[in-house]
Amino acid sequence: MALTGLQIYKLLPQTNCKECGFPTCLAFAMKLAQKGTELANCPYVSDEAKASLDAASAPPIRLVAIGAGERAFEVGNEVVLFRHEKTFYHQPGLVVRVKADDPKIVELTARMVSSYAVERVGMSLRLDGIAIEDSGGGAAAFAAAVAVARSAAPGLPLVLMSTDPAAVGAALDEAGADRPLVHAATAANWQAMAELAKKHSCPLAVRAESGDLTALADLAAQVQDAGVDDIVLDPGTSDPAGMLAAFTQLRRLALKKNYRPLGFPIIAFVGAGSAEEQAAMAAEAITKYAGVIVLDGFEPALIYALMTLRQNVYTDPQKPIQMEPKLYEVGAPTASSPLLITTNFSLTYFTVSGEIEASGVPVWLLVADADGMSVLTAWAAGKFDAEKIAKTVTASGLGGKLKHHKLVLPGYVAGLSGEVEEELAGWEILVGPREAVEIPNYLKSVWKAD
Amino acid sequence: MTELEIPVEKWSGAVRLVTLGATGDGGTRTSTVTVGGETTLPFLHFEGQIPNAPVVAAEVVDMHPADWSPALLEALGDDTRDPAAWARKMVGLGADLISLKLRSTHPDQGDRSAADAVATVKSVLAAVGVPLIVYGPGVVDKDNEVLVAVADATKGERLALATCEDKNYRTIVAAALGNGHLIVAQTPIDVNLAKQLNILISDMGLSLDRMLMDPTTGAVGYGVEYTYSVMERLRLAALMGDGMTQQPMICSVGEESWRQKESRVADGVPESWGEYATRAVVWEVTTATALLHAGADILVVRHPRSIAQVQRSIAALMKGV
Amino acid sequence: MAGRTPKPKAKVSVTFAPHGRTVHAAAGANLLDIALASDVKVDAPCGGQGRCGHCRVKVEAGTLRRRHNPKLARAEEHEGYALACEAFVTGDVTVSVPTAEEIRSRPRPGTAAEKIALPFHCDWQRHPAIRKLTVHMEPPSLADNTNDLDRLRRELARQHGINDVVVGVGVLRTLAKALRDADWNVALTLDMRNWVLDATVPPRLLAIDRASDTSPNFGLAIDIGTTSVVAYLVDFATAEVVDTVSAYNGQISCGEDVISRIVYSQRKGGLERLHHLVIGTVNELLHEIAGRNKIDLTDINEVTAAGNTTMTHIFLGLDPKYIREEPYIPTASVLPRASADWLGLDINPHASVYCMPSVGSYVGGDISAGVLSSGLFLTDKLTLFIDIGTNGEMVLGTKEWLISCACSAGPAFEGGGVRDGMRATAGAIEDVWINRETYEPTFRTIGDRPALGICGSGLIDLLGELFVTGMIDKSGHVDRTLSSPRVREGGHGYEFVVAWAPETGRGHDIVVTETDIDNLVRAKAAIYAGFRVLCTSVGVALADVEQILIGGAFGQYINVEKAIEIGLMPDLPWERFEYLGNTSALGAYTALVCTDMRHEVVAIAKRMTYLELSADNAFMDEYTSALFLPHTDLATFPSVKVQVETNGTAARHSGHRSRAAQRVSAEGDS
Ligand code: SF4
Repeated sequence: MALTGLQIYKLLPQTNCKECGFPTCLAFAMKLAQKGTELANCPYVSDEAKASLDAASAPPIRLVAIGAGERAFEVGNEVVLFRHEKTFYHQPGLVVRVKADDPKIVELTARMVSSYAVERVGMSLRLDGIAIEDSGGGAAAFAAAVAVARSAAPGLPLVLMSTDPAAVGAALDEAGADRPLVHAATAANWQAMAELAKKHSCPLAVRAESGDLTALADLAAQVQDAGVDDIVLDPGTSDPAGMLAAFTQLRRLALKKNYRPLGFPIIAFVGAGSAEEQAAMAAEAITKYAGVIVLDGFEPALIYALMTLRQNVYTDPQKPIQMEPKLYEVGAPTASSPLLITTNFSLTYFTVSGEIEASGVPVWLLVADADGMSVLTAWAAGKFDAEKIAKTVTASGLGGKLKHHKLVLPGYVAGLSGEVEEELAGWEILVGPREAVEIPNYLKSVWKAD
Repeated sequence: MTELEIPVEKWSGAVRLVTLGATGDGGTRTSTVTVGGETTLPFLHFEGQIPNAPVVAAEVVDMHPADWSPALLEALGDDTRDPAAWARKMVGLGADLISLKLRSTHPDQGDRSAADAVATVKSVLAAVGVPLIVYGPGVVDKDNEVLVAVADATKGERLALATCEDKNYRTIVAAALGNGHLIVAQTPIDVNLAKQLNILISDMGLSLDRMLMDPTTGAVGYGVEYTYSVMERLRLAALMGDGMTQQPMICSVGEESWRQKESRVADGVPESWGEYATRAVVWEVTTATALLHAGADILVVRHPRSIAQVQRSIAALMKGV
Repeated sequence: MAGRTPKPKAKVSVTFAPHGRTVHAAAGANLLDIALASDVKVDAPCGGQGRCGHCRVKVEAGTLRRRHNPKLARAEEHEGYALACEAFVTGDVTVSVPTAEEIRSRPRPGTAAEKIALPFHCDWQRHPAIRKLTVHMEPPSLADNTNDLDRLRRELARQHGINDVVVGVGVLRTLAKALRDADWNVALTLDMRNWVLDATVPPRLLAIDRASDTSPNFGLAIDIGTTSVVAYLVDFATAEVVDTVSAYNGQISCGEDVISRIVYSQRKGGLERLHHLVIGTVNELLHEIAGRNKIDLTDINEVTAAGNTTMTHIFLGLDPKYIREEPYIPTASVLPRASADWLGLDINPHASVYCMPSVGSYVGGDISAGVLSSGLFLTDKLTLFIDIGTNGEMVLGTKEWLISCACSAGPAFEGGGVRDGMRATAGAIEDVWINRETYEPTFRTIGDRPALGICGSGLIDLLGELFVTGMIDKSGHVDRTLSSPRVREGGHGYEFVVAWAPETGRGHDIVVTETDIDNLVRAKAAIYAGFRVLCTSVGVALADVEQILIGGAFGQYINVEKAIEIGLMPDLPWERFEYLGNTSALGAYTALVCTDMRHEVVAIAKRMTYLELSADNAFMDEYTSALFLPHTDLATFPSVKVQVETNGTAARHSGHRSRAAQRVSAEGDS
């Protein structure tokens, strides 16, 4: 179980020598408790302390890498059931399934999956791999399809979907060096599959039937005993309710019971339904603990939404909630509507825009990047000063849109008005109220465009 | 092969039961909707009771929403010009209840009178038998004026009056108190603020089984993760026995989702965004599903395909009872 | 009060001692009512509601029927004490009532004019900071033509075993004449320089006088606050505080809080001006204390100063700019010696000035000094030390570990940012009670002057009273439906009139507005959130804190009961709270006289962990959760919960219900 900062501190030398890069041993211990640093950074920990700390910090869910090279992805190593408790670390890989029977389709899909990219808040989001599903055409056909995918999409991680050890063996002879995920070892074939996975050092998925976690644990343990370390779990559920129950139980067993045989990432299949059906199933998998999600076919409209949701769910909730710094329109402002400026702390934004909305006066609300701090805090930290305000106004390109050149500052930074006026030639700087509650009154009775 | 011991939480609290609509004592509904009562996290049937499935409300506006996304207007057809017909259509498509927005009473949207609003609400009440959630125009003074008139004129219907906010709740709560209605308490994506507003409203004497809470919805790509975590935290607190977080939660999925560029714009967007009609519906469904898993009890959606899919998902997730 | 009106019954006689007045009253009558009706002054600021516990009397003869009240301990009841408002006469009785003088001079918590003493035992004599020694020399001759300085060194070694001494040019210039004037029998003042841990560092010569000269040997301990500066004059011979003085920090005109001062320091010549202002303030204090005690300022041979990091920087003339900017880095935490002449202090020019070491940009030397003087670094008990000011600084720990943080509470508790707020000086309302039936307040001002404004403790009282009487709701909004002329809509929203213009020394009504209330709620929320985050960061529960030590200039006036009511302080048994007075000045004083403690305060600063809250989401979460009265999670304030449920608020609610929902009752909804 995780130790608190104070418990870790008691195991440290308590000399405050600072060599770990922290000012005190307690500061180091607290960071360690949050998993923000490594024990190895303290050169003076006793072996005894080390042993007990290591035991407490071993990841309850193993980190498993799928693929090789640049596009390889890692899943697992999660530490919480709910993202607000800390954060979700390794976003699930989104993989597109294609049947092996038509090489043309395999090639086309591999190309599209490989080249798909979508830009969102400055990040390029991509698909993580392609799953080639054995359609029963024999080992050679399966291996050939894998070869097609490999050459069409070099470096794209693969999932080899077949329960036939011969087919998997042939495919691994082709692509074994790429560390594809093999899906799946079952009660019937696990010895042979484990053998292959071990031979090629590939991750191996183990599959039970309809959510039988006891069977799944046994299977995982057997495969592990056979020498496979990187395991992915498939509880074999295909309906939303069963999947949710199984995935939740797997995560709880790993985190709350530290149950090692099931301390692995999970793979989810969203089925072959319509785009919205797949969307519903995949949204569940993203929010509820999947490590790999297999989509049925390449549908950009679906993929884009899922990638966005995945990005959202896997952002760190411990960072203060920030608004995107930009110009917001509250109501339908016109060229003679007032221009107010505030900071990008979400609560500040919500309070201010709420009051503006309540006032019924349409307003241009300019939100400055102040690292998510409130007006006073940002001012205190030098992040909302005359220079920043002037830059924000200039960058907004508002000058051309407005009939007037008047900027309303929050009352708390009234002292900056002179400096802002100097920085923003041709603008008149007005001082608004200190408190958001007074905004409606200000807009209705004080503000004048000319 | 030893049986695994599945970790099961022993929750001490439950989500409060709230019934919308009334069939007697002034109520003219043909059916009511009860939400809440969960004694576990969403759809974990192995752990606790989920006596009431989450429900889907369809959004209806009292004026033709010409600014809505073309994909929506096309799917809804001509009925958007008559709220009663629109509501009837949505019930036919599987909506459990109707969310009626009195948009035309907004000073900038026609500024229709409270009396007009009452007439609209009555026409919708007459057209459908399901319960109603009634939203004011979202401007403090007009909200108060309109919702009080509606509340007075529909005494006993157990409407949900929306929305009560931190800065403006007293008048609406009093109107609900006086006429046997419910209220929707909305707070900006914050656990504490949600709880505080519940306390303030219940301090006014409104019983907790007449309150829904709206934690403020963010769509996928537009803050859904904040809503998701706030809802999860509220639900966990509710199950742990915190009486002021046990209100069923309502999410304006349709409004938030359809406001975004992804759902509004067909052309001139990156090809990787995919086919427009599918993308727009998927956006609403994805937002709805994520929030369903965070504990939503009422999802307000807009598109017929979304209603169908969310209902299918709920039905599938309730399997196992 | 109708319930107290006695039915016509047998008359009993009631004697009030020591006034000696005897009156007749109906049996069953309330004692406070009888006293008031007979012009006997009983201190009852809450107006007889049984809430303040001030109307205590002692039964000298006879008996009273008493209702139990938590304001009076059972033991006190057994000793014969009673609260007049909870007592009813049943037969002839004699009670003694404290006289008006007694009431006035009753010490408030922590304000007893006790002698300032070292906070705990320490061996201050072992290594004195400044020593006075006499040295006798043979005058030089042709046979012994050793120079003056070597001669002095030789004898110092011979007579006192001090083998080396540092003599600066400044002192050297006076040496030849001083030796001869003294006829080679001199008294030396030596700075033993024991701030330096290395025992081989030689002492420094500070002054040479005649051996017959018995001039005293003083030190000065200063607390440089953002708002006020306090100085203790200390006699090194006895380690006692001879006198104390205080004044507002001259920098106030350049901004009320540290951030404003830092901003000011960045103007052209700003830093120099701020530096000179604070040095000027200290010099004024020096002259005041010298005049009052008839001492020569050059007899002050060493200074210790404790201030927050910004004040310390400015005092030493260091640029505080980077304290404010992320990542908030001070120039130095452990500060080198400065000399008095270099700083411009009007004392022995060679005297050393030492500043208490700081922990971080927002936990300064005042807090290290506070941890020292509070004894927190010695205790086994889980202790929370707090210094409430513009910045609420706090330290959690035991002798084994210490963690600190600072949360910016804003100036509300110092009377800033509040319309009729003021500092705790004469005329400030410091104690308020509101009658929960009539909503009429009673208050007390500092020095019993006409009211000029409300100080921090008064504001805390007021907020608590407004809340428990149900005049404001849990979010701090004034109940608009109250029928009291004191609740009205002013220019800035709703407000409550604490004092009508004629009762004040200001000529206008003294009010508290909803915006003021907001500011106060934010201030208390910041501090309470700090407690919570500090505890969570190390994994202990706030309820496990065994003692809460309140330091700082303002802390001693806080009424803990009210502070708990509004959720400023955690709802813990009152015995766990202790007022320590000005812990910053006390720490500087302790370090001035005791060498061991000098080393200790440096060690404290070095081992104290500093928790930065500015980028902490957990803090924001705790903060919003505390932006409610007393707190969003009422369960963490069980004693307040009981009050809210049984007291005013509940009464108000029923009022609400009856008003808001007259229509409801017809429907049978409620
Ligand atoms: S390196 Fe080790 S001993 Fe040194 S401060 Fe860091 S934790 Fe403490």
